[in-house]
Amino acid sequence: MAGPLAGYRAVELADGVAGPYCAMQLGDAGADVIKIEPPEGDRARGWGPPLQGDTNAVFLSLNRNKRSITLDLTTPYGVEVARRLLARADVAVVDPNRLAAPDLSYEALGDLNRQLVYCAISGYGDRGPWADRPGGELPAQLLSEATASLGRIGEPPVRMGHDAASMYAAVYSVQAICAALLARDQIGSGQKIDVSLFGSMLAMRSTLWVALSNPDEWWGFHLDSYVKPPDHGYRCKDGAIFFSLARMDRAGFDDLIRDLRMEWVRDDPLFPLLAQDTAGGGGRYSHVVHHLWERGFAEFSTVEVMEMAERHGGLTFPMNDYEALVNDPQVKFVDVFQTLEQPGVGQMSVIAPPWQFSDTPAELRLPAPQLGEHSAEILAELGVRSATGAQSAGNSRVH
Amino acid sequence: MPGPLAGIRVFDLTMWMVGPWCSMQLGGMGADIIHIEQPGVLWSSLGAGVPPTINGTSIGYIAWNMNKRGLFLDLKATEDRSTAYELIKSSDVFIVNMRTGVADRLGLSYEALSAINPNIVYCSITGWGETGPMATRPGADTQVGYFTGLWSTQGATGEAGQVYRHFTQTDATSGNYAAQAILMALLARKRTGRGQKIELSMLRCASAIQTPRIAEYLARGSVAEPLGSASQATAPDQAFLCEDKQYVGVSVTSEAEWKTFCAVTEQLQLPDDPRFASNVARVEHRAELTAALEPVFRSKPQFYWVMKLNAGRIPCGYPMQFEQLRQHPQVVENDYIVDVETSAWGNVYTGGPPWHFSETPARWFGTPMPGEHTGEILDELKQPAAPLAGRQV
Repeated sequence: MAGPLAGYRAVELADGVAGPYCAMQLGDAGADVIKIEPPEGDRARGWGPPLQGDTNAVFLSLNRNKRSITLDLTTPYGVEVARRLLARADVAVVDPNRLAAPDLSYEALGDLNRQLVYCAISGYGDRGPWADRPGGELPAQLLSEATASLGRIGEPPVRMGHDAASMYAAVYSVQAICAALLARDQIGSGQKIDVSLFGSMLAMRSTLWVALSNPDEWWGFHLDSYVKPPDHGYRCKDGAIFFSLARMDRAGFDDLIRDLRMEWVRDDPLFPLLAQDTAGGGGRYSHVVHHLWERGFAEFSTVEVMEMAERHGGLTFPMNDYEALVNDPQVKFVDVFQTLEQPGVGQMSVIAPPWQFSDTPAELRLPAPQLGEHSAEILAELGVRSATGAQSAGNSRVH
Repeated sequence: MPGPLAGIRVFDLTMWMVGPWCSMQLGGMGADIIHIEQPGVLWSSLGAGVPPTINGTSIGYIAWNMNKRGLFLDLKATEDRSTAYELIKSSDVFIVNMRTGVADRLGLSYEALSAINPNIVYCSITGWGETGPMATRPGADTQVGYFTGLWSTQGATGEAGQVYRHFTQTDATSGNYAAQAILMALLARKRTGRGQKIELSMLRCASAIQTPRIAEYLARGSVAEPLGSASQATAPDQAFLCEDKQYVGVSVTSEAEWKTFCAVTEQLQLPDDPRFASNVARVEHRAELTAALEPVFRSKPQFYWVMKLNAGRIPCGYPMQFEQLRQHPQVVENDYIVDVETSAWGNVYTGGPPWHFSETPARWFGTPMPGEHTGEILDELKQPAAPLAGRQV
């Protein structure tokens, strides 16, 4: 059986990370997604290195399960074709701050398609003094104080590595689109949605806003996170681990100290803190006694430390980099990675959609498209004459 | 106008963060979330009083259980289990994030629940998946983040990767993906005429949110070093120190923006330099590019660059803090931080709805005490034609 969104049509008028990831998720779930690209292509096609074949790896990872049409939206022909695509679509995913054609704004579309769910993924929201500013990943992270949870106070800011603002906004956008499609049957029409990079970051930090409201005591791992030093895990002889005393009792603690040959620590002035605190990043004094644990762990491998700690009631995990992640047995067991035949690359390993549906499974149906690869096919579906034949201004090249 | 999910009922058997975060999103969109707590046990993070607390309650419980009604059910007691089945008959969605096998032992497997309500969308969230060597391992936000390498691509230049100290990101991410899946299954129900089972592991969710970086690793075949504030994929895309010792972050991600950036910074010679002629070239020569730009930014104060870059429509930003954010007109006008009244903890700040719907607005309302609505919900259950009947296919 086809994916949960089979039968829905989406049009993507965005590039970079947020819009493309949102639209790809719709495609992974079975929707027919048409990506409208300017003649020079999605900006992410030029990102990197690294490249796979001749295309940027990030672009390939965010654009499978789509068809691509090139349209020059600065020409009447391009705008007209885009309008016809939107007229028969269920969903539009749009970057409103970089839209080349004002005629394709939600307001300008007017009555073209009252059933359309129009999702704008903006930089800062559709109201307020910054509504028209183009968004960006690092700006959203800085402005939302996300960089206060990394690095050291007084030193240069450190960015969250995983394009958090863009990815979070994409994930929230998919939620909103699906909710609006459900509501469409109730209210009889589509509607406009706005999700922003900035707002998504602020929503993802909302636990902190509650913590800052009026705490009984100014400590605890939410509040501590502002003032602690960088957390690199617990280094052992051959790598780092996540380490927590978890439910370890005093006997287990004493046994662990003995097995680690750390009896010397009982003479350290910080020992009372070591013995009372929850090891791991959430502990009140974890950063104060961290070096004592690491002095003990330095004599053993990660596997040895994890085995000892777990035996006595602790909780540990390896601190994997991507190489270790890709090769991990559990990761293989639950199919975190799947393969896709990408023209010009061959069999390519890709991250699977996260959801597992019993009846309507997500599928990897299409590789990321070449620029304009499906222009002719899509124009034929619309019954529009190809501009290549007519040589009109807004051409639709087929590569 | 009610939210987009008005009429949808969710039986919310969740605890700690990942499950509660998921149902809280659905509640913000107008679904009726019935959050189950076991009397005397308090399955959520409430009881432990994990600091920081407000009136003795962990702020985690307060932050992750907004937009819900609270119901006490002792699922090991026969009578309460019958009540659960009655509620599930009129529910659209069932969410559970207990360890693999626990729901089954309580008589709440998908097979059992779909037999009494074929329309039910059953969502199970686990740490590591329901099969494999780690299936029964405990797993929560921090562990999943460490395990999936979330830390590995971020850190000061020349240092090892570091963990994002505001734990919650992998829990919230997984809860958000779960909410997506539930909404997708509700849409599929219109076509297929029945519900289905959804399985999510935090392992797959935390990996999916790192798609761009992991894709780069797979293409490169080696692990990248952290770059401080700089992007792996684009340049110049980093923070610069200004004359007044403050930072401005700037993201140039297209060739058009690069040309404008060079005009704004009056560095008109740079586009002609072959080392900086394309993004690929600039990424390969990031160190030289940074060296060329650092003295430029250090020659003027932060506000100068913010004004100039905004005038040129180059994405830029600077570090803000909560105390500025909560009063900032951009935040206030978009309801991104809201002040919510709660029954037991006074008014608290939290993140407002991240989605703006033009026709069916989302709204955020307070967190219930565990079991706060038990009487009200049981009364509704006694009335056959009550507003309880969930929206049917």
